[in-house]
Amino acid sequence: MRPLGEIERLYDEHAQSIFAFLLNFTRDEHDTRDLLQEIFVKIAREPHLLENVRNERAYLIRLARNAAIDFIRRRDTRDRSRENVAVEQVSIFAKTSDPDEATFRKELSVALADLPEEQGTVAYLKLWEGLTFEEIAEILEISPNTAASRYRYALDKLRERLRPLYKEITNRTQ
Amino acid sequence: MNEETESFEQRLRRQPLRPLPTEWRREILEAASEACPVQPGEIVSRYSFLSELRRRFASVLWPHPVAWGGLAVVWALIFAVNISTQDKPANMAVKALPSPEVIGQSPEQQRLYAQLMGFQLTGSDDPSNPDRQKAIPPKPRSERIEFETKAAL
Repeated sequence: MRPLGEIERLYDEHAQSIFAFLLNFTRDEHDTRDLLQEIFVKIAREPHLLENVRNERAYLIRLARNAAIDFIRRRDTRDRSRENVAVEQVSIFAKTSDPDEATFRKELSVALADLPEEQGTVAYLKLWEGLTFEEIAEILEISPNTAASRYRYALDKLRERLRPLYKEITNRTQ
Repeated sequence: MNEETESFEQRLRRQPLRPLPTEWRREILEAASEACPVQPGEIVSRYSFLSELRRRFASVLWPHPVAWGGLAVVWALIFAVNISTQDKPANMAVKALPSPEVIGQSPEQQRLYAQLMGFQLTGSDDPSNPDRQKAIPPKPRSERIEFETKAAL
């Protein structure tokens, strides 16, 4: 096990990013908490996981992605066995008192959730994690060109969907 | 990339993400520490040894660790079965003891053997006995060959 201080450091430095990344996948705060805990317990149990890792953030995001994909599969199976599951999706963005901003964030969050998983992940990592295409490619085990093209597709879809709202807000603020 | 796209991209980047609930920190770190209740120092040494061992095994078993591992398990099973079915020394000692019948026959066999070898003559060596066989001491084979050769000539 890593000493608890080391786990604390990892948590303080990376938990916020992993949380938002996971929330983008699950759209459920309770599920996100469970997954976040699962990841830190895993790190505590298996100290060798982070040995010789150059980019801790990238590695943790990869762990989070794998855990989230497994979780989504389990949840889909579980939800299929139940009927008419209607859970309200949680926004990955912070709340705001500005109504225009609140509307934009809500629409953006929904549009992001509607993207195919591979495009949404690349868009999230590029826009809100500020990673390069090379770093994204390493995390997702794809080529940088593929990462770049997925990003372009994602951005086009988001812009297309949010254009009316975006123009309205932009015109109002000008 | 045109200006509109860049502007849109910038706007997206500026959207702040939902903050991580602060109360989770304590709960998650508690769960992480409970996952390994032993003192951190002890665990580090124990795990580093185990992880080193595992790493070495993985390098030995590469590139088909499952196949090699399976073969090792089969060998271990064969070895275990072999060990479990083998006679134990105590059993062997019991088995080595002759039965009472064998013990009873033993002097008789000894007498017969001596008789055959001509060490001890008994009633059966009586010349009047038609079944009597003359005890001929064995000779070296080479002498017999020499005798047979002379006879042939």
